[in-house]
Amino acid sequence: MGIEKVESSDAELVRRVRAGDIGAYGVLVSRYRDRLGRYAIHMIGDREDAEEALQDSFVRAYRSLARCDDPARFGAWLYGILVNRCRTTGARAARRRRMFVRDPDALHGAAHADQSERLEWTDAVDRALARLAPQHREAFLLKHVEDLEYEEIAELTGAGVSALKMRVKRAREQLQRYLREAEHV
Amino acid sequence: MFEQEDDIVERMIQQLRRPVAVDPALDARVLQAITAPRPSQRSVWPWLAAAALLGALTIWRPWSRGSAADRPDTLQFVLVAPQANSVSLVGDFNDWDPKRSPMRTANGIWAAVVQLAPGRYRYAFLVNGVEWRADPGAPAARDDEFGTPSSVVTVGGKGS
Amino acid sequence: MILAVLLIAAQVAAQDPRLDRLDPDTRAQVRVVVDSARRIGLPAEPLIQRALEGATKGAPGPRIVTAVRRLSADLGTAHAALGDGASVPELEAGVAALRAGATPEVLAKLHSVRRPPLTMALSVLADLVASGVPADSAAVAVLALAPKARDADLVEFRRAVERDIALGAPPAAATSVRVNAGADVLNAASPPPGPALPRRP
Repeated sequence: MGIEKVESSDAELVRRVRAGDIGAYGVLVSRYRDRLGRYAIHMIGDREDAEEALQDSFVRAYRSLARCDDPARFGAWLYGILVNRCRTTGARAARRRRMFVRDPDALHGAAHADQSERLEWTDAVDRALARLAPQHREAFLLKHVEDLEYEEIAELTGAGVSALKMRVKRAREQLQRYLREAEHV
Repeated sequence: MFEQEDDIVERMIQQLRRPVAVDPALDARVLQAITAPRPSQRSVWPWLAAAALLGALTIWRPWSRGSAADRPDTLQFVLVAPQANSVSLVGDFNDWDPKRSPMRTANGIWAAVVQLAPGRYRYAFLVNGVEWRADPGAPAARDDEFGTPSSVVTVGGKGS
Repeated sequence: MILAVLLIAAQVAAQDPRLDRLDPDTRAQVRVVVDSARRIGLPAEPLIQRALEGATKGAPGPRIVTAVRRLSADLGTAHAALGDGASVPELEAGVAALRAGATPEVLAKLHSVRRPPLTMALSVLADLVASGVPADSAAVAVLALAPKARDADLVEFRRAVERDIALGAPPAAATSVRVNAGADVLNAASPPPGPALPRRP
């Protein structure tokens, strides 16, 4: 809604929100919506629940904006709120729905056999991810998909760096096994 | 051997890193939620609090209906128009009658909640009774044979 | 017997009180179009809505009549391509797709590869073109997805393409750029296709 001012920094926008400019918060939401959405969708595995968690997190962040100590690191702080919020949806995600197809290879005039292979791969990926224990999935996604440093992940999750490294290592081992299983069926 | 095994996980990571497009209407829903008056506050629009709560809960979810599909979907239409005195939602679902779906406002954010059976609907916002606006968050209707912009919303499912 | 029922139905449709919003001349002409459409099995409601849109927007009578006639003709084309079983939403979405540049052959092909309802697939095709994607690219993309994708997948695809365009991708290449980028990433990271790809039993 409207045109985003990409020149304004997060810190500048936070300052404006604190001064009463709600529209500035809209810009922040647009800025982080897709990136955080990606984490929520992979973590929770259900698009509806993920978007709900995402929306919830944005609202919570706004309401507790005064507690954001470093406005320049608004994004990281927002991540923390989202990571916590995604943990509470864990139980409901037990009724996993199949993730929709995002694979662009599925589209463009691809031969039919090729196309179904791509869809199967996406399915296999989603299923393997779903089989991980929540703690392992969380650590794996934050490290390898969201590209956070271990120190940052430690801040967000409250876990120690070495514990996190172990979780990521375990996650990789398990994923390898699940994916290999899927291809040998 | 080690490299080959790791390959498949790397492929998975590439797959997961692909950008995801979240419904852009989420922005408006967030703004709606944060500007809704809290129950503890005195408000001259008590019904708006209820409407805002309803708005925050009823989210456009065409995919959740799947094939069970004859049931109508509840949609919330939102327009940010701080300068407006009145905004009406008009479209194929209400006979293009400005009196049928007047929108309610809080802090310049106008909203209306509508139940729609499966189908494809053209619609637009009528601001102050005179100005036609399309919905910036929705696909544009290509045919504006009447010279004003419109938008389209499609609700999946069987329909009649 | 059936003809009598149809004629009665036509009469009822023509007396739709909503059309009273039109001036008498326009109203009469619109009724003729609506009645003719009904007689050949096309739905009246989209035509009435189009007339009401014109009325609300203060359009001149002749323009309203033209719009309603054009819609009736396009509904006929969509009906021919999609078959007798097509629902009203499917026909409306079919019209949108046709006006976006899809050929009747594309509609017929979609009908043959995808289980009904086709509403969302046709809508997505039209909406992609509205974002700037050339009609043939949009048709190729939707037809390729159509056999297996659910409605939600199609909506997601449309949003993803729109996002790419908003971020600066040339609309003419938006669907194929997504494809090529995806293909490159996959090819770079993976061993050659074959046993390495997971297969269903």
